[in-house]
Amino acid sequence: MKKITKNHSGKKGRGRLRRLRNDFDAWILLLPLVIILYIMVWRPTVLGAVWSFFKMNAYTPVKFTGLDNYVRVLTHTQFLPTLINTGWYVFWSLVIGFIPPVIIAVMLNELVHFKKTFRILSYIPAVIPGIAGMLMWYYIYYPGNMGLLNMVLTKLNLPQFEWLQNPKFTIIGIVIYKTWKGFPGAVLLYYAAVQSVSVELYEAALIDGAGPIKRAWHVTRPALEGMLLLNLVRQIISVFQTLDEPLAMTGGGPNNASNTLSFQLYQYGFNSGGRATGQAMALGVIIFLILIVFTLFYFILNKKVEDRY
Amino acid sequence: MKKFENKETGILSRSDLSNVSGQMLYWFFFIVLALVCVVAVVPALWTLLTAFKDTQEIYASFSFLPSDMSWHRITSRLSESWAALQLGDSFINTIILSIGSLVFKITICGLGGYVLSRLKPRGAGLVFALVVWTMMMPVQIRIVPTYMSFLHFPFASDNMGGVSLLDTYWPMWLNACADTFAVLLFKNNFDAIPISYIESAKLDGCGNIRAFFKIVLPLSMPIVIFESINTLSQAWSAFFTPLLVLDKRMVLPLKIYRLSMDPNIRMNTYFMGLIFASLPPLLIFIIFQRRIMGGINVGGVKG
Repeated sequence: MKKITKNHSGKKGRGRLRRLRNDFDAWILLLPLVIILYIMVWRPTVLGAVWSFFKMNAYTPVKFTGLDNYVRVLTHTQFLPTLINTGWYVFWSLVIGFIPPVIIAVMLNELVHFKKTFRILSYIPAVIPGIAGMLMWYYIYYPGNMGLLNMVLTKLNLPQFEWLQNPKFTIIGIVIYKTWKGFPGAVLLYYAAVQSVSVELYEAALIDGAGPIKRAWHVTRPALEGMLLLNLVRQIISVFQTLDEPLAMTGGGPNNASNTLSFQLYQYGFNSGGRATGQAMALGVIIFLILIVFTLFYFILNKKVEDRY
Repeated sequence: MKKFENKETGILSRSDLSNVSGQMLYWFFFIVLALVCVVAVVPALWTLLTAFKDTQEIYASFSFLPSDMSWHRITSRLSESWAALQLGDSFINTIILSIGSLVFKITICGLGGYVLSRLKPRGAGLVFALVVWTMMMPVQIRIVPTYMSFLHFPFASDNMGGVSLLDTYWPMWLNACADTFAVLLFKNNFDAIPISYIESAKLDGCGNIRAFFKIVLPLSMPIVIFESINTLSQAWSAFFTPLLVLDKRMVLPLKIYRLSMDPNIRMNTYFMGLIFASLPPLLIFIIFQRRIMGGINVGGVKG
């Protein structure tokens, strides 16, 4: 009896040992990723939340001060205007940039002449490095004779315009750049979806006597709906985080007219001589809370869309 | 029109294209798309043409084309600008940055995806869940703490010592590796590799690492190439992290940003700099144009 148990446990022990060894080997390979994610993502996310309650001396936490940083951020006279500005970025990017990629993708799919040339040429904005693109557009919008747009206006005998220097236009100007930069990627996505609609569906609709517009509405649109909804939320999330463009193109100006929450965070964190680092983290938490709502919504939506197809 | 006759039925069909209103609709599509292409190309084209103008010409002339487009003029403008901009070092720095990002990302995210997909040790489920959650975490909350980690790496505040990573490429390399989207992409692709391939390699005495590099990666070439192209173009446009951490070892995007504030650089020369900075990614695009424009289905990343 004793012998049997011993034998049994020995076998089991060896199996467990092998399993342990395998697990250990696997973990060795996984460890670099886990460590990097810990240092670059998980720990800073938690510390950002913790230190937002601390008084900071440049980049050193000094002492717990409760909600002090939050009060300072929220009562700053620029907070509300900046929040509203960020909302305007989202609004204009949806008005200007949301629908054109879908239409371009649908039209592209119908093309029989120069299709490949059109696809390649229209993809160029996505290839140009972001900062080079921003600076190109900075000079396109340049006030005075030099800017491309003013050059065109002068040729048409129209008065020149100050473009990005105009507080009413500056956000729209940046959104136009963002749309230019982002549409090729969106077209690529939609194009794949449009292509996956089977020809039989169109032919069946044709036999039923549906014209081009009806076919677009009843055959093409349903195939794109899920993706459109997801992209809508994704675009809201990404535009809400706009940072590089005001940084490189306008410096948040004129008179904070193109400021965004993320750019304000950059100013607090890296352009305040180290005096507002705590406020930067408090603002980070505020942005985080706003965005996490949209992100959760996105994931729920994603599940729903996936279940449907 | 012969091309119309072979057209697959879509929103427009062959029968639509045989009458005038259908053809008008088609050519309307064509013109709209042509305009889209013009808008897509004009900013870079204008920058290029302006780079060949004289400084006076930039401010005075309202012509799109430079007045002098002789071969001699083009070569002299190119060499003058290259000499004035001194982009050589930045080019080399960016090459180092991009190759490092590529190697680290493919290795670390790839191995991570491999373990999560195939080896699944105890606790992998938790790591996988964390990776998925990480994907949805907004970055703003961690911008300052991450910068603090760079100051006292690997610790986050200065009472424990640590090394400063300022003016090294490590912050960007680490950033490239902390790409949870890539991990999931790799995992999903490795899921599709038949397990028998890996098991037979192991029976032949292959270790995990050899199996990964000899079997798993070569079988997933499309995804590896896709991620490589992505990583390279990200590295050539990386701006924000370099702005925070780099000073002497400038990379190209940072360099052209700094040059825009340099009063000694003339406008036409500066425009040439923008073109130079756009050339490497453009080259990557031209070489891998087929891979980028289609072929791979990356829409299937699921949490």
